[in-house]
Amino acid sequence: MTLEVKETDGTAIVSLSGDVDLQTSPSVRQGLLDCLETSQRVVVDMSGVSYIDSSGVASLVEAFQISRKEGSTFVLANVSPAALRVFSLARLDKVFTIHESVEDAAAALG
Amino acid sequence: MDMTQSRSAAPLLEKVEQKFRSHLNLVAALTRDFAAATDYEDMAAAGLEQVTNYVGAEASSLFLLDETGKELICVACYGPVNITSLRVPADSGIVGRSVQQQKGQMVRDVSLDADFGGAVDAQTGFKTKSILAAPLSIGDEHLGSIEIINKNTDDGLFHDSDLTLLETLSSAAALALHNLRLTQQVVQQERASREVELAAEIQRNLLPVQKGQKFPIHGVNIPARSVSGDFYDILPMSDGRIWFNIGDVSGKGMNAALLMAKTTSLFRCLAKSATHPGQLLHIINNELCETNSHGMFVTMIGGLLDPATGHVAMSNAGHEPPLLLDLKSHEFKEMPAEAPPLGITPNIAGSGGFPNTEFDMCGGSLYIFTDGLTEARTFGGSIVGNDGARSLILEHLEQPAEKQLRNITAAVRLPSKPLHDDLTLLIVQDCSKGFHKPPITVTRDPMQQIQKILHLRLPARADRLKLIRAAVKEAAEYCLCDSDWTRDLTLAVDEASQNVIRHAYDSSKEPGDICIDFIKEGEQMVVHIMDFADRVDPEKVKGRDLEDIRPGGLGVHLINSVTDDARFVTPPTGVGNLFKLTKRL
Repeated sequence: MTLEVKETDGTAIVSLSGDVDLQTSPSVRQGLLDCLETSQRVVVDMSGVSYIDSSGVASLVEAFQISRKEGSTFVLANVSPAALRVFSLARLDKVFTIHESVEDAAAALG
Repeated sequence: MDMTQSRSAAPLLEKVEQKFRSHLNLVAALTRDFAAATDYEDMAAAGLEQVTNYVGAEASSLFLLDETGKELICVACYGPVNITSLRVPADSGIVGRSVQQQKGQMVRDVSLDADFGGAVDAQTGFKTKSILAAPLSIGDEHLGSIEIINKNTDDGLFHDSDLTLLETLSSAAALALHNLRLTQQVVQQERASREVELAAEIQRNLLPVQKGQKFPIHGVNIPARSVSGDFYDILPMSDGRIWFNIGDVSGKGMNAALLMAKTTSLFRCLAKSATHPGQLLHIINNELCETNSHGMFVTMIGGLLDPATGHVAMSNAGHEPPLLLDLKSHEFKEMPAEAPPLGITPNIAGSGGFPNTEFDMCGGSLYIFTDGLTEARTFGGSIVGNDGARSLILEHLEQPAEKQLRNITAAVRLPSKPLHDDLTLLIVQDCSKGFHKPPITVTRDPMQQIQKILHLRLPARADRLKLIRAAVKEAAEYCLCDSDWTRDLTLAVDEASQNVIRHAYDSSKEPGDICIDFIKEGEQMVVHIMDFADRVDPEKVKGRDLEDIRPGGLGVHLINSVTDDARFVTPPTGVGNLFKLTKRL
């Protein structure tokens, strides 16, 4: 698993890739929470996520809930079919804001 | 003088002889007709008309005793009035007297006979003047009587020769009647035996088809008569588990066979939705109690085998205790009956069902049989009994199950003597040996319905999950599963393994091992995820409500969503937790 953060104009683009599982999700969680501390807007690029499990989903849910509490924005982009399958099984596909691409997300966030 | 006498005697003698010949001719003709007759009416109608005209009388009738012997029924008559079906008491009238006394009666003037009742005359308007009656009997068996009424010719009086003739004819008629009845009985018996044969064939079709040597359950049923009151059934379910039963209906013959058919049909039908054998027997018991009659009941064992683990759930309603045999020590463990037979009292075990016994076969074999085995006799003439049954089982143990069944039953089927009772025997074998294999073994046997694909044993740590997922992927690809299917199964196994890592072992200590087995069972993949930690309460590992959006607790929901079945089962050694996933291919 790798997690890369690029920050421009108060928007953090987090690129996640590899397997997000019980072993790696604690660092994913920490990375996302760190971003929310410093940025008002967070876009998670999930194009490289080959696998995500319930603990990975839980990290995303936690970040999403904190963003709502803090009044910041937390969106997902480029969700791979493997991750989308898990989101839909968990019925979270309607909870998260999901954009086709990072560009779409950036445009929507203004 | 002598000449005169001899001249006048000659024509008389000739006349007597002529009459005698003519009598003989009639007797011969009628006897022939009687012998050829195929029913009473034909026989009687022809005979009565001939004999009435021959004697020169007005009417005649044939009376036969009914089944109770208390009434005489007119089955045929000849003359101006029809009295067929008329019933008279067997001890009244002239005809009654002939039956009671078993002697021919000749009444030349009925008005002078105290026994003459005149009831028939009153009903029909016929005027009876004289009666000749002869009984019909074979040995001690009284059949009825023939009577001839109102002689018209000569002096209008019956003669001794008329009575002799009638008595001769009635003997022939009695014999013919007796033969007719015997023939009818034989026809009826043949019809009944054809029907029994048909019922036996239908019953044989109710028994399950043997499923080949690799299948874990085999059975045999040998009826003592054509039809059996015993039964057994084997019913594989889509999740890989197998229902089985054995039963014995009280009594033998057709009524037992019908109750057997009903019970086995109920089992087959209800097993598909039952959760455990105790519940199933409870429902069958209530059904049988609702419609059962004549105090019949059924002893029965219902069981559910998980061939992947060798786990058996079983409920015993008053049946012979099954024997669990340890194949190494050759020791038998008796599994006693916990409940009364089915069909006696409803709701006997409360709404929770009949008691359920759960155990692991641990590589052993379960022998279940009816008392037809224990109460049978050996070649030596002694009763098999419990010890004998055990000896027979041990004697043939080395053979495949089907051969064991043949040999054990052959030992108690004596050629000279029919079986005393229906005999049914069922062998349940433990085919699960996946837990003792060395780590990572791949076996492939295309002939086998159950294929062990992969066995993994590794420390229950988060950093091994990637390895586990890779193994699932390889195992699924080996079974030619598509990528979506593989992705879902990978998720389920990963989530189940996570639960072991997170919840089963004490996080403060070095984690124990996790074992993962992939077993292809026909059209489904079964994955066993086993740990060696303390028992986990399955209630605590429940999925959370999805409306409640928060981190964690999703795993069980994901597992349930992507598999066809996911449940905790009893581990084969009784240690740790065994979580079983089933997913159709």
